Amino acid sequence: MTTHSVGIANLPNQRYKIVSEKGGTFTIMVCGESGLGKTTFINTLFQTTLKHVDPLQRRHLPLKKTVDIDLTRAILEEKNFKMRVNVIDTPGFGDNVNNNKAWQTLVDFIDDQHDSFMRQEQQPYRDTKFDLRVHVVLYFIKPTGHGLKPLDIETMKKISSRANLIPVIAKSDTLTMQELQIFKSRIRQVIEAQEIHIFTPPLDFDTTKDSTTEDENAMSTQDATAAEHARQLIEAMPFAIIGSTTKYDNGQGTQVVARKYPWGLVEVENDNHCDFRKLRSMLLRTYLLDLITTTQDLHYETYRRLRLESSNGTDDETNNGNGDSSMPLKAPARKLSHNPKYKEEENALKKYFTDQVKAEEQRFRQWEQNIVNERIRLNGDLEDIQTKVKKLEEQVRSLQLKKR
Amino acid sequence: MSTQTSNVSIKKEEVNGVPFPPIPNGSSNMETNSNDNQSNAENDNEEQQQQPQIKQESNGNELPTTQALDLDSTANQINSLKLNEGQVLPEQPDVKIINRQINGYVGFANLPKQWHRRSIKNGFTLNLLCVGKNGIGKTTLINSLFNENFDMKDNNGIIPEKPLDLATEDENGNDIDEGLHSNVKIETMTRTIEENGVRLRLTIVDTPGFGDAIDNSNAWEPIVKEINSRYDQYLDAENKINRNLNDDNRIHACLYFIEPTAHWLKPIDLEFCSMIHEKCNLIPVIAKSDILTDEEILIFKERINKQFLERNIQTFKPPVYRLDDKETIDVATKLYESLPYAVVGSNDFVKDPSNPEHTIRGREYPWGIIEVENENHSDFMLLRDLLIEQYLEELHERTNNVLYEHYRSEKLVNLGIKQDNSVFKEFDPNMRQEEEKKLHEAKLSKLEAEMKNVFQLKVSEKEKKLQKSETELFARHKEMKDKLTKQLKALEEKKHQLEMSIQSQAQSSPAQPKKKGFLR
Repeated sequence: MTTHSVGIANLPNQRYKIVSEKGGTFTIMVCGESGLGKTTFINTLFQTTLKHVDPLQRRHLPLKKTVDIDLTRAILEEKNFKMRVNVIDTPGFGDNVNNNKAWQTLVDFIDDQHDSFMRQEQQPYRDTKFDLRVHVVLYFIKPTGHGLKPLDIETMKKISSRANLIPVIAKSDTLTMQELQIFKSRIRQVIEAQEIHIFTPPLDFDTTKDSTTEDENAMSTQDATAAEHARQLIEAMPFAIIGSTTKYDNGQGTQVVARKYPWGLVEVENDNHCDFRKLRSMLLRTYLLDLITTTQDLHYETYRRLRLESSNGTDDETNNGNGDSSMPLKAPARKLSHNPKYKEEENALKKYFTDQVKAEEQRFRQWEQNIVNERIRLNGDLEDIQTKVKKLEEQVRSLQLKKR
Repeated sequence: MSTQTSNVSIKKEEVNGVPFPPIPNGSSNMETNSNDNQSNAENDNEEQQQQPQIKQESNGNELPTTQALDLDSTANQINSLKLNEGQVLPEQPDVKIINRQINGYVGFANLPKQWHRRSIKNGFTLNLLCVGKNGIGKTTLINSLFNENFDMKDNNGIIPEKPLDLATEDENGNDIDEGLHSNVKIETMTRTIEENGVRLRLTIVDTPGFGDAIDNSNAWEPIVKEINSRYDQYLDAENKINRNLNDDNRIHACLYFIEPTAHWLKPIDLEFCSMIHEKCNLIPVIAKSDILTDEEILIFKERINKQFLERNIQTFKPPVYRLDDKETIDVATKLYESLPYAVVGSNDFVKDPSNPEHTIRGREYPWGIIEVENENHSDFMLLRDLLIEQYLEELHERTNNVLYEHYRSEKLVNLGIKQDNSVFKEFDPNMRQEEEKKLHEAKLSKLEAEMKNVFQLKVSEKEKKLQKSETELFARHKEMKDKLTKQLKALEEKKHQLEMSIQSQAQSSPAQPKKKGFLR
């Protein structure tokens, strides 16, 4: 009956229970040119049709000028665990001839969500908060086998500074194993050279702890396994994926999700065929929590800091040194998104006024000229009279002499 | 009564079926969308149209309703505090939410497991406030609970959190100013306890001097101050630009030690409990209950609960969840209903009567051994269950989600910060676009007005200037011309006169021209 356990060992289970009860929220953004299988991937990942593939006629419609946001909300339940899943798609990204600043919509959306959360968090009463902060952005790279386009690089750069970025090679069944390896290493080189920060699983497992008890032994083996898994994932990046929601017999009587070609079956969940399973592990099975906490602790906090710094213009000390540190810092006015159309309109307005000013200036110049001319004319007029006066004076003088 | 409350909210959750806060209206309009069925046979393809639109006329959409639907762990406990009056959700856009059960293994259900792992890595904290008279057995109970050996006399091996001048007195009240007025001190001790690789950072906040003076009015004051200042510290941390919220020094629970009088609670007990129960999780215990018989304890507990009820004092109540099985619910109910716990602590180990090889925590009397961890001897194990093994994290949750929020809301409102409910809105791309458009148009028209203003101002200035120089020109011309014309006229007049006089002279004296010729 001698128990030296006081119940602390049960605390992680309490946490487990609380999280199970609360459920979770996961917001994923997919980004890439149309036709790269973004929608199919989402449906494959969640094993349900969350998004319908664009009806074909839409694809034939003339391309829209700007990319917009397509939002799918779902509450999925798996093993009694409820998850609010938000999928953000950006149809039309990169489809235009001029894709200058095509990333702006994505960046605006991510910033917007951080901004909205910050404002909610600052309210005195805030029990219900709406949170669409993006936990991960999947960037779909076209399987060209060559390299990254400037738009890819620019977009990934912009995204990686404000959200967890995971680049993936779409439709990788168009590349042979060798081509894929070369393509991957090229992409990795560019990512490194351009200093794009992609999300990687953490490697800081506690392996130094001396394991005295069996439990701890088991735990550090677990840590080692986790570290090994993380390393494998990092080595396989960027993940090459294929998407399908159709099941085929794999020849051994098992139904597998795959794509069927005359020359063979490409199985989605086969590590020899593509990295789908690795990506799923990264997104959901193993590192979902890391995605969520990185978003909160790194990306959201960075956004918040920059915004508050820019508006309050002072550092922490002066701001909180006034004794009023209980006051939430005032958030600056909401930023207007960088819609190029708006910019155009603004410029048009400015140009209109510039033209008006020019026209008026022209008028004034004319007017001034007229005044100058008039002055000359009037001066001439005066001179005429003056001449007459002089003449008369002359005459008068001569007359006066004559008179004497 | 309170069990009823939680039942109600559970029911509502089931009706709605949606555990997430963003759906503030229970009357969601469900539609089954069948076009999904062929796509994936193994999934339950049920699509629902959620219309959480709040009609403005129904106005009474204050949060108690919302809260009942909220599966947040606070939901069950929140009813008592009603701290949501300030948040009224604005009209929400129509939002379509797909609801699906997934039968395959997708993997997001691993999230609790990932949290489990993370929590081991992060470790746990408990800041426990202990309030009770000297000699009531606080130290002993804490040591028994955590299997530790806190010694509040010499702070042996304990890092004091506060400067030493605050921690000058000891548990037994030696050398204290045992004066007329209450002289409560705050003492803090922190230790990290590890069990099977799980670390708990335990901070005991002791309050020596409480209830020891002759006049104990306002004895609660320094304690409430301490709780508040810990909240303030957290609030400051939250408001910082560079913030780090990992250090949580807020009080997560208050163990209140009731004297085993078997009579009634004293005014000071009630006073203190009512001052504190909305600030931290209150767990009352009847100390040294080994001097009371079982019947006496039962009666005493009943009286205490009656007194609490009369003063509307809420003790900590373990939440009941949707997924809880009957056994768990029974345990939670028993834990709640057995409050205040009649406990016995012991620093001594005695021989286990059932197994003489072992020693157990206990107290040996001539008439028998009281085993601290024996459920039949005291409520000690219940206390340990509630405080540590089963509900420690719930103490955290309630502190963070309910009590701290309550404190913060009140504080901010008192500082004059206005609630802006318009920020609580489901994001809707179209609405956002509209908003953007409005903002843009407003900006544009402002810009236009400004530019127009400047433009007109400049133009009219210039016009005036030119007009002025024009007028001046004409005026000067006219003036000069007038002057000249006058001169001209005068000269003409003069000339005429001269001519006239010369004419008449010439007639009278013709010699004149000669003279003139000479002069030439």
